[in-house]
Amino acid sequence: MSNNDFYIGWMPKAPGSFARHTKKVIIALLILAVTVGVLLATAQKKFSTGQFEFGRLTNITGVYFKEPVPAIKVMSGKDLLGRASYITIPLIGYGKFGAGGIILDLEKEKHLDLVKKEITLKGTLLYNDGKLLMQIDAADDPLVSVNKAAGENILPLQKELGEQTILGEIVDPKCFFGVMKPGEGKPHKDCAIRCISGGIPPVLKVINNEGEANYYLLMGAQGEKMNQAVKEFVAAPVAVKAKVVKYDDWVILYVTDKKSISPVSARQLIKPGSQTIGCIAPCLK
Amino acid sequence: MGVSYLAVGWNRQKKIYDWFIFAFCVLYLSTFIAITAISNPDYTFETALIRSTATLAILLLHVILSIGPLTRINKKFLPLLYNRRHLGVTMFTIALIHGSFSILQFHALGNVNPFVSLFTANTQYNSVSKFPFQALGFFALVIFFLMAITSHDFWLHTLSPKIWKTLHLFVYLAYFLVIMHVMLGVVQYETNPVLFVMVLAGAAALITLHLVAGTREVRKDNQLFKLKSEGFVYVCESRDVPDNCAKIFCIDKERIALFRFEDKLYAIHNVCKHQGGPLGEGQIIDGCITCPWHGYQYLPQNGQSPLPFKEKVNTYHVKVAGSQVWLNPQPLPEGTERPGAAIIIPDNQIIENVK
Repeated sequence: MSNNDFYIGWMPKAPGSFARHTKKVIIALLILAVTVGVLLATAQKKFSTGQFEFGRLTNITGVYFKEPVPAIKVMSGKDLLGRASYITIPLIGYGKFGAGGIILDLEKEKHLDLVKKEITLKGTLLYNDGKLLMQIDAADDPLVSVNKAAGENILPLQKELGEQTILGEIVDPKCFFGVMKPGEGKPHKDCAIRCISGGIPPVLKVINNEGEANYYLLMGAQGEKMNQAVKEFVAAPVAVKAKVVKYDDWVILYVTDKKSISPVSARQLIKPGSQTIGCIAPCLK
Repeated sequence: MGVSYLAVGWNRQKKIYDWFIFAFCVLYLSTFIAITAISNPDYTFETALIRSTATLAILLLHVILSIGPLTRINKKFLPLLYNRRHLGVTMFTIALIHGSFSILQFHALGNVNPFVSLFTANTQYNSVSKFPFQALGFFALVIFFLMAITSHDFWLHTLSPKIWKTLHLFVYLAYFLVIMHVMLGVVQYETNPVLFVMVLAGAAALITLHLVAGTREVRKDNQLFKLKSEGFVYVCESRDVPDNCAKIFCIDKERIALFRFEDKLYAIHNVCKHQGGPLGEGQIIDGCITCPWHGYQYLPQNGQSPLPFKEKVNTYHVKVAGSQVWLNPQPLPEGTERPGAAIIIPDNQIIENVK
């Protein structure tokens, strides 16, 4: 190497041979940046189609139920036989909290018991895969009106489906159905645990052998919250042994205790298109 | 290197370097986000931002960790080394954006403090597959933070080069934490193996580069010197040392740079006081031995930086017997003045030089 070929960073210009080599390296690195960017971006798992109507408030009128989870039951039209059909919209709170606290505060403030009353709530909708949920935030004054007590015909239609063992992944419905992408799996595990700890009801996401997703709310055997008990099982494949009860358009899994939930291998879960059976329950839709 | 600290002068080379870093980051982020948006109409910007900054930071980390061994293998990579700290601070900033948004998204607005949640949401520390991978990323970020805030030479002098260098070697621990953060996190979620393969390929490339560069160093260090006399060791012929350049010898674990300047030979410790650069791979510029890494300078006769600078390195006794060069590997105190050992130039070479 000649004296002219010695590189010193504090000199204003690099020697010609260094400058030429550096130019080649820069071009190679820029090509690397684009290549890696394209490869990694295209290799990502598809984002879910869930929607969270962030910043948009919607008024919904329906009958409020506290059990099994805070929800409002809304008339969605009529079925083929002309009977009224309903959609149950579970309520969730702002941030990583359930809606129970907000509703309780509203009841105290208004000196009312809202259960089984037709109310109009203002909140943010989130939805995916046929499920609709509503976030209510105390800052939005969510209780627009309390209309009247609902009749007995609005009570949820219950159907017991027996005891089943079901394989799936426990998710927090707020993130899963729209707020986050992904709202499941290991990257989202901490967030799901925090959401469920905050009172958002845990949901078991199950893929059946046709590759279709089903979602079941998890409760204790007596209808008590299972939030703390399921924390360690969140975002990983589990088998849940539970009494299955259909409540209108949602299915509730009444889990006897923590021992009824056990980790399973990821291979045991269904993969769409494969023959693996993830849901032992024959017809829980 | 100095008695007072001035703002870093952004000379032409630095500006080119920083513009390149900026272009690299913008190109990567825009490519990743654009492709994500095009191929996933349902994407969310937060997720695209978290993922693009994460992958960019890891890519930059690979570039940063490659520069050291690459310069050992080929000196033409030195321009990348000189301002490597800019690349490091940029990488930390990008990683900080990733970390901040992730903590905000996954841990904020919950029933405990987000930083408490980071360590207590998932407590399955005894499981490999369920391990709380976010904590690993957090600790890597802390290391990058400490490195970024101490990147200026002020901290190098305040902490002492030894402590500074030790602190900055923690980058390898941070790299390991980052790799585990990825492997125990998003790799468990993605079904396409591209990310997994790229992380493995990156790690393999880095290990290979370090092994190749390290093997060269070890080979130099293991050179045997058989001829010994009165504490001196025969190292080479005087014609083997190029003018204004040096040869490096490792004798009794002492790395010595033997420089030739104005037909005299001078030996000084090979390790620069600044960041441990190999002085023997430098040259003599304006009468000063100049470190190839960051241009720190020392006088050949006493190993001292020219005033007002205060850096000093060890010097060594050199003697020339005929055409043979002998070195005494016993270091003299830093900055000890030694006369150069005059080279006996054969008559035919003098005639050649005159011609």
